[in-house]
Amino acid sequence: MSDQVEIEAKDLSFYYAGTIHSLKQVNLSAHKMAVTALIGPSGCGKTTLLRCFNRMHDLYPKNRYEGQIIFEGKDVLSSDVDVIKLRSKIGMVFQKPTPFPMTIFDNIAYGLKLKGITNRSELSEKVEKALKNAALWDEAKDKLNVSAYDLSGGQQQRLVIARALAVEPHVLLFDEPTSALDPISTSKIEELIVQLKNNVTIIIVTHNMQQAARISDWTGFMMLGELIEFDRTDKMFTAPSEKLTEDYITGRFG
Amino acid sequence: MNVEQKRKAESILALALSTLAAFSGLFWLVFILGDVLVHGIGALTPALFLNDPTPPGVVGGGLRNAFVGQLMITAFATLIGVPIGILGGTFLAEYARGTRTARAISVLSDIMVSVPSIVVGTFIYAIMVKTVGHFNGWAGAVALAVIMIPVVLRTTEDMLSLVPWTLREAAFALGAPYYRVIIEVVYRGAATGIFTGVLLSIARVAGETAPLLFTSFNNSFFSTDMRGPVASLTATIFQYAMGPYEEWHMQAWGAAFIITVFILLITIAGRLIIKWRYK
Repeated sequence: MSDQVEIEAKDLSFYYAGTIHSLKQVNLSAHKMAVTALIGPSGCGKTTLLRCFNRMHDLYPKNRYEGQIIFEGKDVLSSDVDVIKLRSKIGMVFQKPTPFPMTIFDNIAYGLKLKGITNRSELSEKVEKALKNAALWDEAKDKLNVSAYDLSGGQQQRLVIARALAVEPHVLLFDEPTSALDPISTSKIEELIVQLKNNVTIIIVTHNMQQAARISDWTGFMMLGELIEFDRTDKMFTAPSEKLTEDYITGRFG
Repeated sequence: MNVEQKRKAESILALALSTLAAFSGLFWLVFILGDVLVHGIGALTPALFLNDPTPPGVVGGGLRNAFVGQLMITAFATLIGVPIGILGGTFLAEYARGTRTARAISVLSDIMVSVPSIVVGTFIYAIMVKTVGHFNGWAGAVALAVIMIPVVLRTTEDMLSLVPWTLREAAFALGAPYYRVIIEVVYRGAATGIFTGVLLSIARVAGETAPLLFTSFNNSFFSTDMRGPVASLTATIFQYAMGPYEEWHMQAWGAAFIITVFILLITIAGRLIIKWRYK
C-alpha cells in the first residue's frame, strides 16, 4: 500500500438526464496499489460514482458531470479528453459476467486488437499472461479456441477480468463483481483482487460489507449521493467517525 | 348431470372442436402440397431444366429461361434488399435506439410488411418500367427488394435488441469505438438471428408473382439481360397454367414443384437454425 494518489474525484457532482443530483460534491482519492471499496445502501450512488471514472455515463445522452476527476495530472471530465484512450487505461468489470460471443482467446485478444496489436505471437503471449494474472490459465489453457460461453459463471468473470487486464490498465473498476456468483467463485475473485492490487489500482463497489472489510484498504461509505465518510478500512470498521456509518455497518439500516 | 360431469363434457367438446379445426387446416395444406408433389414429380425431366421453351406442339421444351431468370431476380433482390435492411435495422436498434424517429420507422416497416405485393409492383412499374418504356429485370429485382427490406430491417432490429446492453458497455469499457462494438460484438451475438431473417425474407419473395407481372414480366426466350424482360418461375406458372396446352400444364406443375420445394427447404433451414441456436 502506498500513499500516492492514482485517481481523485474533486467536488464531483453528477446528474442523470433530466433529474436532480445523483452525486453531490464527492471528494475521494483512490490510492496507488490499494483497493478502495465503496459501500452503502441501494441507490446511494456507488455505481454512479464508479461509472464516472471511465465516463461510462457518456453513452447516454444528456447526463451531466460537475467538478473534476484528476488522473495522470489531467481532468478526466474535460471535453478534450479522448474517452476511448481513457477507457483503455481505466478498465471495468461488471456485475454479471460479460464474455463476448467468441472464443476465450478472441475475448482476451479483443482489447489488444483495439490497441492495434495484430502480431499473432505477441497476441498469444499477452493472452497467456492475462489469463495467468487472472488465475484462469490452468483451467483455460486447453480450450482457448472454445466459446467463452462454455465456461462457468465464476470462470467467465475471471475471463472478463483477464480481458480487462490484457490491455494493462492503470485502474480497474469493479461493479459488484461477485454478486452473481456462488461462494467458492466469490472467494477466488476476492483472492485475485487482493493479488492484483500490486499492479493496478482497484476501486470496487460492493453490497457485501464483509467483502469490503476482507479485501479493501480504503472504504468510502455513501448515502443519498453523498460520500458520508472515507477512511482506511480498518478504521472505518472499528471506529467510524460518523454516526451514520456506524449505524450502517452495524446493520441498523440498509 | 352434476357439475363434474358437465365440466368433463365441456372439456371433451372443446377438445373435439379444436382438434377438428386443426385437422381441417392441416388437411388443405397437405392436400395442396401433396397435389403439387404428385403432379410435379412426373413433370421433372432433364429437359425441363436444360431446354428453353419450344413453340406449342413441339416436344422437348423446358423452362431453363425461367429457372435462370428466377435465380437472377431473386439474387439481385437479395443483394439490394439485405444490406439496406440490415443497415436500417442497425440504425434503429443502435444509433437511433429509443428515439421517436426509430419508433416511427419501425411502425412504418410493420405496415410495409403487410402491404399487398401487387401495390409494390405497380409502384415500381410507375418509376422503373413506365419511365424506360419496357419491362425489365432490374425493376423485378427492385420490387422484390422493396418487399424484403422491411422484413430484414425489423428482424435485424429485433435481433440486435436482444443482445444485452451490458455486452456493449463491456466493449466500450475496453476502449472500443461504437462502430467496432456493433460490427465485432453485437453482430456476432445476433448473427444467427439475422441470417435466419434473411433466409425467411428470401423465402417470402421467391414465391411472389404479382409484382413481377408488373416489372420483369416474362420472356419465352433465354435472356440474362436484366435491362429487358426476364422470365421467372412464378410468372411462367401463371401463364402456362392459364394456357390451353397439356404440356404447358405439365411444365407449370414442374415449376410449382421446384419453387415449393425451394421455399420449403429455406424455411426449414431457417427454423432449424433458430432451434439449434436458441435451444
